[in-house]
Order: sequence, then C-alpha cells, then structure tokens
Amino acid sequence: MVRFPSMDDKCAVLHLSRLQLDDLNLDHLTDSKRQQIQQLHLTYNRLLLLPTSVCFLSNLEYLDISSNALTVIPDYIMRLTNLKTVVAKNNLLDESSFPKEFERMQVETLNLSGNRFGEIPVQFLKMTTLQSLSLGGNRLKNIPAEIKNLTSLELLYLGGNLISFIPPEVANLTSLRYLVLCDNRIQSIPPQLNKLHSLLSLSLHNNLLTFLPREILSLVHLQELSLRGNPLVVRFIKDMTYDPPSLMELAGRTIKSQNLPFSSCDLPSNLNHYLNLASECPNPKCAGVYFDSCVRHIKFVDFCGKYRLPLMHYLCSPQCSSPCSSNPQSDAESEDENSVPADRLQRVLLG
Amino acid sequence: MEQTELVKPDTLEDLIQTLHKLFESDSVNVEEVQSIMESYDSKPHEWMKYATFDQYRYTRNLVDEGNGKFNLMILCWGEGHGSSIHDHTDSHCFLKLLQGQLKETLFDWPDHKLQAGMLQKSQQVLLENQCAYINDSLGLHRVENVSHTETAVSLHLYSPPFQTCRTFDQRTGHHNSVKMTFWSKFGERTPYRSTASQVPVL
Repeated sequence: MVRFPSMDDKCAVLHLSRLQLDDLNLDHLTDSKRQQIQQLHLTYNRLLLLPTSVCFLSNLEYLDISSNALTVIPDYIMRLTNLKTVVAKNNLLDESSFPKEFERMQVETLNLSGNRFGEIPVQFLKMTTLQSLSLGGNRLKNIPAEIKNLTSLELLYLGGNLISFIPPEVANLTSLRYLVLCDNRIQSIPPQLNKLHSLLSLSLHNNLLTFLPREILSLVHLQELSLRGNPLVVRFIKDMTYDPPSLMELAGRTIKSQNLPFSSCDLPSNLNHYLNLASECPNPKCAGVYFDSCVRHIKFVDFCGKYRLPLMHYLCSPQCSSPCSSNPQSDAESEDENSVPADRLQRVLLG
Repeated sequence: MEQTELVKPDTLEDLIQTLHKLFESDSVNVEEVQSIMESYDSKPHEWMKYATFDQYRYTRNLVDEGNGKFNLMILCWGEGHGSSIHDHTDSHCFLKLLQGQLKETLFDWPDHKLQAGMLQKSQQVLLENQCAYINDSLGLHRVENVSHTETAVSLHLYSPPFQTCRTFDQRTGHHNSVKMTFWSKFGERTPYRSTASQVPVL
C-alpha cells in the first residue's frame, strides 16, 4: 500500500501544503480546472476553518487538511458529493465539530487521529459505507455498542486513547481486517471477538491484559498479534477465587444435567427464565452447565512452538478437568490438542 | 589506517558511494560511519522508490549490498508498528531516521539462570536525520514507531550483512532464531513465502 499521493495525473492533484496559508482563494481557477481536481493537500498550514473555495471543487474525492488548527468542519463540506477520503489529523476537532448529518456524505475513509475526540460522534456510527476509521491519539473513553452499525469497516484504528472496555458488539464488524487497540487501558478481550472472521492483524500492545480468551484460537486468518507491554501471567495462578454456587444454581444444574422434565406452567416465570440461561461447560468431556458460578481457568498454549500464551476459559467447577491433562493444577501444562499450528499466527509479538 | 577524504554527502547516491569507500578495508570506524550517515540530509524524492508501506507491519527494503561488506536498507513503519527485542548477530548496526521518529528501547542480555523478565535499560527517541548505533556487546534493543498519526522511515546499515537474528520474549527472556526477509530489493517487490517456523522480523 503506497502512502505517497498519486502523481499519475498532475492536473488532478493540487498540492498546497506547508505554505503558511490561513485562507485559500481558488477564484482564479476556471470552472473546468476546478472540476478536474480530485485530490487536495492542504497540510501544515494555518487554517482555522475549511476554506469555502474548497467546496467548489465538485469532483474532489480526497481531502487532506491535517496539521492545521481546525476546530470545526462546516456544513458546506457536504457540497463535495464525490468526497470519499477525509484526512484531518493533528487538528483541534472533537465530537461536536462535524456536520449533524455527515453520514449522508458516504465517505469511505476517515482519518482523525491526533485530535480531541472524547467520544465517537453519533453521525460516524451511522456511516454504514465507512471502510476505514482512524481515531488514534484522541481521548476516547469507550467504544459505543453502536459501532456494530459500521458493517463495511475494514480498518479500525483506536490506538492511544483511554479505552478500558471492548464491547462485544465489535464482533459485528465481520469485514474488519485490521483492529488497532494498542496504548489503551483494556483489561480483557471479549470472547466474541472470535467472530471477526476477516481479521488479519490485531494490535493490543501496551494495555492491561493478564490473559486472553481461549476463543482467540479460532481467528484462523490472524497473521499479526501484538501483545507486548501487557502484564500477561507467565505462571499458572494456583489460587483462583471461586464463589461456591448458590442453592438455586445447584438445583438448576441438576435439572439441566439430569434432563429432568418440566413444563413452563410448573414454575414461576422467573425460574423458567433462569433455567434458560444455563451455559454449557466449554470442556467437551463435561456435560455440565453453569449459571452464575464458574471458575476461571487459565491454560498456557503454545503458539507456533515459540510462545506460551495464557488463554482463559470458564469451567463449571474447579473439579472439571481438561481432557488433556491429568492434573489441571499442573504448572508445566501445555495443551497439545489446542496448540496453534506453526503456519498460523506467524508473528506474535510478545516481547 | 587509510585516511579518507570525507565530504558531506549531498545525495543518497553520494552517501552510498562514501559508504563503499569507508567499508573497503576490513576495519570499521564506527564514529566515522555514524557521522557520515548523520550528515546526509534526508531528501524524500531520493528514497521514495524504496519506501513502500504495509498496513499491518513494518517493511524492509534493500537499497544496496555494499560489495558484500554491508547491507543498506530502508524500513517503513506505519503508525504503531514496532519490532521485537532483537540482537544483531555479531554485526554493526547503524540506524538513521529519514522521516518521522522512532523510539529505541535498550535491554541487557537476559540472564538465563534467573529466568526472569527483561527490564529496559534506557530509552531514546530518535529524531529526523539522527543516527544511532548498536552491536551485541552494547546489548539488545526494540525499535518502535509510537506515533498514532505519523509514519516513519529509517535507513539501516548492517556490517557484515546477516540473514538471521534472535528475538526475545520480554516476559521470560526466552529467545528464538528468526530469518529476516525483504519486502523489496532495489525498488522491486520481492514476496516471501514463509515456511512453518520462520517469522519475518527486523
């Protein structure tokens, strides 16, 4: 992927970067010349506002206004009906800066890294044709569940923010190939992330992860995984806190695992609802279920014969043992059945 | 030792020719090489043809083979891209920034008896046109583009050339040998089909 702007047709690309511009007047251009311009570079100037004359470049597809002093993107940008890529890095933009109906523009690539976004603007979460969204180096405190609407998204760059939680709705982004969450405050990865079938690269370095969900093993296309700078456990933690199950849970487990027959009129609705919440124990040899009470179990899995990663899954009880080991408390355990073959996960950056 | 008349290299081609002269003999004057590399003022139009970025990881692009005495290459780092902790297989390593910035974190060799993690020794941010130097006796390092908004481009010289190095797991000090691959050579893309145990890395 070449990053330098296309030089194929000089007339279609207008370079006006590093000219100390605080405004721009394109009145001297003929109409035909204005219609020729497809790319406009206005980086490293002194613009406080998007110049109005930009909006007469009716065929503009690519606009780069990075490294200026923009606080707002005015409504008149919506006149650029052919605009597909907007790059406005290193400005002073925040969640109130964009037009209220920006989603009507059908922009495909939006790079707003290095601004002052405290949250993802509501309009962005309606951009169903958006393919690439970069909000690195902002002040985002969370990822809203509405992110699931961005079903065309292939690249999501959220590195360098204040994010502590990844909503499971991220799993809806089935076109996602590159997910960057490095340099945040993330403590856990939702297991639903294994539904990101298209994911090729996952960047998680410099967070607060102590283990990963076992489900990460099913990301079959994943080639790059960065995990450095996380407090990943290296030794099996023997003291796992375990809250014993309640009487209601024990009764529910017995009903489900013994397949005791009952009909919905036998029980009050709250208990019917409860019994439907039973989760199967992930241990394939165990037919057990659990409701609220389970134990977190960490196994170290060999990746490509090189790295041992702590992967976590829930078991229904501390007595529920893995099919592979005789002693689930063993320190030296690795799970050959589930070790990742060497041709997958080619580049796991642990340290 | 020969005295070389050294003029500040104006162009990348000048720099390459000067480096050929400096590496003619078998001994390397580290300060001289570092100074010459630093004195070349980076001009993007001179190295653009070698600078191809990959979305997911940094690329290594061979520029010159130094008559077998050294490898000169350009590395392109996207936002957030970084390397493993690695050694330099008994070779000299010079690293000059052509565009953007890179963070270099230095580590001591891990003590295998202790089986402990590796603590960083020091860190520095390399600015445009600066040139850093490292070899195995000085320790190990990790190089990263920590910017979320800017890409980085660096010029690396390794003498003698090497094709494998060791990468280290910071948590345990364990290391693996890896084969190093090129994204392109002399401006031409050179795809690498990796086999089972080989992981492309710096």
